[in-house]
Amino acid sequence: MQILIILLQIAALLAIVLLHVAYTTYFERKIIGHMQVRMGPMLVGWHGLLQPIADGIKSFFKEDIIPEQADKPLFLAAPIICLVTMLASLAVLPFARGWVLADINIGLLFLFAMSSLASYGIILAGWASNSKYTFLGGMRSMAQVISYEIPMGLSLVGVMMLSGSLNLTEIVTAQGTSIFSIYLFPQIIGFFVFFIAMLAETNRVPFDLPEAETELVSGYLTEYSGMRYAMFFMAEYIGMMVMASIGTVCFLGGWNGPFEIPFFPPFWFILKVYGFLFLFIWIRATLPRYRYDQLMELGWKLLIPLALLNIFLTGLFKVFT
Amino acid sequence: MTESATINVPVAQGNEDKYKLKMGPQHPATHGVLRVDLELDGETITDCDPKVGYLHRGFEKLAEHRTYAQNLVLTDRLDYMAAMANNVGYCEAVEKLLDIQVSNRARFLRVMVCEMARLASHLLWLATHALDIGAMTVFLYAFRERETLMEIFAELCGSRLTNTYTCLGGVRQDVTHEIMRKLDNFINEFPACIEEYETLIDTNRIWLKRTIGVAPVSAEMGLDLCLTGASLRGSGVDYDIRKHVPYAAYDQIDFEVPLGETGDTYARYRCRMEEMRQSNYILRQCIEKMPPGAIVGEDAPDLVMPTTPRKKVTADTSARQGLIKLIEDRDVYMEGDIYVATEVPKGELGFYFISDCKGKPYRMHIRSPSFIHIGALETLGKGVMVADLIAIIGTLDVVLGECDR
Amino acid sequence: MKVQYKPKRNLLGTIFQVEILQGMALTLRKLFSPPITRQYPDEKPPMYAGFRGQHALVRDPVTQDSKCIGCMRCVTVCPSRCIRIRCQQDAKGKQKVESYSIEVLRCVFCGFCVEVCPVGAVTMTELFEYASYDRESLLFDKETLLKNWDRFLEESAHDENYVNPFWRPRGVPEASLAASQRMKVPADWTIEGQFIGTSLRQPQQNGAITHTEADHA
Repeated sequence: MQILIILLQIAALLAIVLLHVAYTTYFERKIIGHMQVRMGPMLVGWHGLLQPIADGIKSFFKEDIIPEQADKPLFLAAPIICLVTMLASLAVLPFARGWVLADINIGLLFLFAMSSLASYGIILAGWASNSKYTFLGGMRSMAQVISYEIPMGLSLVGVMMLSGSLNLTEIVTAQGTSIFSIYLFPQIIGFFVFFIAMLAETNRVPFDLPEAETELVSGYLTEYSGMRYAMFFMAEYIGMMVMASIGTVCFLGGWNGPFEIPFFPPFWFILKVYGFLFLFIWIRATLPRYRYDQLMELGWKLLIPLALLNIFLTGLFKVFT
Repeated sequence: MTESATINVPVAQGNEDKYKLKMGPQHPATHGVLRVDLELDGETITDCDPKVGYLHRGFEKLAEHRTYAQNLVLTDRLDYMAAMANNVGYCEAVEKLLDIQVSNRARFLRVMVCEMARLASHLLWLATHALDIGAMTVFLYAFRERETLMEIFAELCGSRLTNTYTCLGGVRQDVTHEIMRKLDNFINEFPACIEEYETLIDTNRIWLKRTIGVAPVSAEMGLDLCLTGASLRGSGVDYDIRKHVPYAAYDQIDFEVPLGETGDTYARYRCRMEEMRQSNYILRQCIEKMPPGAIVGEDAPDLVMPTTPRKKVTADTSARQGLIKLIEDRDVYMEGDIYVATEVPKGELGFYFISDCKGKPYRMHIRSPSFIHIGALETLGKGVMVADLIAIIGTLDVVLGECDR
Repeated sequence: MKVQYKPKRNLLGTIFQVEILQGMALTLRKLFSPPITRQYPDEKPPMYAGFRGQHALVRDPVTQDSKCIGCMRCVTVCPSRCIRIRCQQDAKGKQKVESYSIEVLRCVFCGFCVEVCPVGAVTMTELFEYASYDRESLLFDKETLLKNWDRFLEESAHDENYVNPFWRPRGVPEASLAASQRMKVPADWTIEGQFIGTSLRQPQQNGAITHTEADHA
């Protein structure tokens, strides 16, 4: 009985998240469209509201092309690895008090592990397609992941130090005593580093090097088509949401808000995640793209020292209070 | 091939740690159908070999079988971003060859459409250059203004892209008050639009990192590589045919030639942005100084040019309608050769004709700036990264229709 | 003239990402500005007289036939050689056009044929939607070309008195035009009513351009 309830909860969460993925793509197209003084999708449904559904159906029925020279098992496995790891990280996210599938003590570490594994899928995809563009995309992805996992992890160390826990629920609870009950102000440097590393981790502009369209055609995605392409796509958007959730939980106080919303406790959490997603899209509409070596430079020469500085300052803060 | 195919990753053959990448002709950032054969060491390019010819249509040969008037339509399809400028360049050359006078109003109209074409071309350059570097919003903002220009073209000559606007001895259509009002509105609003593009990229740290110091071209190097246009002026060489060998009405118009200093991608970018401002200023002068008069010269040849007789032709106006009266007093087509260059948005567009006293050129050679700029790619592309190569292709402002002709 | 660069970013600007925030403010502002998209099939682009679109042979209102006299000027001038005319002399020795065809797939839409036509018989209309799935339907013969003219009159705001700017180029002195090309045209098509530099800021009697600084605001 217990298992059945958990399975139902998982199914519900999956359905909600996948719906969110579909409509994030829609709103991304709409928002970027309007920022670029055009309209975005308009034809399928009212103002194109059914566009993501149509896209889903299209990619589902499209031919799944596997290049002749590709390493077939890895080529087939790569998108699944990407998607599954991203979906797995949803398990530990606390949407509200008690609204969490697996309230484990190492929640934050689990999230890091999963997001690193997802990059493994991307590297495999680049490698297994046996195409030069995908290979370059995979290499870039590998370098990017190594460079940005570190500042990201380090930036969250400050949060761990302040809250004294790796459990996400406890991190949120611990923020209750801080200013505005969020860690944003005591951890402003950490947040800055986290935010940039988050953009890089999810392969979003200005760090979308692994799939830089004008350089590598489509990077690691070049040889994928149909549903497998859509899986990468979903993984990317779930990754965005997971990262936004980490940001919300660790820096913006999770489900805490100015006042309680009755019957729907995750309201503030969801609002903050939406805010992050809008920021992602907004940045995509504005900024150009870094070059590969500049990206490395930024990661190693700026973000890691900043993150270390943040740990040092947090330590001082802990010692003197 | 056995069932279990081994992964054949294209690196590391023995002690060889470089691999080859054929970028293009189907690639989103090669501005058409350019192919660049690269030899890569990691992401650094060790050898860069541009290959052209995928858009070859044989214009120079086609021209040998068409009259001077008919050849005009070929020039539309050279640099299709700025067809007007090509039209003017071609007509200036043929008029010098055949000694045809152009009315002053037509000269001003030519300057006007040339500068509109320059704006249209530079807007498209900015759009694609920014998109190549990843800023996709500039792309659509630039196209918004380009659309206005295209509509003015459509109203002026009935076509948006392949204008065929000029004719030997003048232009084919006069402007109307409506067109000029639209153009006036456009040039009043345009400086604010340039500001808008610059807000997005001009001081943006990512844009600066991607452009400053990328593919620097010194003045000597630029001259050695035969660069022209803004690609050369970015290096500080004051070479602008509009200023130094004025054609059309450029001698009656006041403008300045923006010159860069460092010769890198950013300097060229700044040069072109300044050129857009100057073009805007020239357009304003064109509107204000537009003289009255006919749009075609007195001795302009008819569109229906006879191919063999060496006689001056005009459309008959008195006797039988529409037939050609041959005026017997002067040879029209002289013998000899001529090279006339004009400043199109991409650089120096030259037409070289050899005439053998016929209505068709014996040989027409087009010195297209894009072709020569692509030649510079080999030098500039060595030792940079793949992402920089894309920026260099963008900054050289090549269009393959003109390169392959 | 040396190109002016904007001042270098200072330390404060670097830390607070001022220039990036400015860019983002611009895109946010544009988010709420009206889009400029033209929803094409529902919303047609504006068309202007003299647009070089689908070809047509003008149907003479009196004879209900083409005005073409078979002078072959359009055939001679066509740079892509896509026009074919066959003429025959009837019993009285009068030239009669038997067939007239335009191969649209070869046409480069330069409008030379329209410009040289001494009687204003061939024209290019403002219609541009005539894509087809086969080549045959894009080989316009005389009947199709006459039908194109009917379609043009039907679908556009013009009547039979339509004057294509290429039949009677704007800004060309009346005297240098053939008699049949001296058509009744708007004032600003003639050389007297043409736009000249000084006329921009002055309101004119014909009302063609009455615009002041207020228009720019």
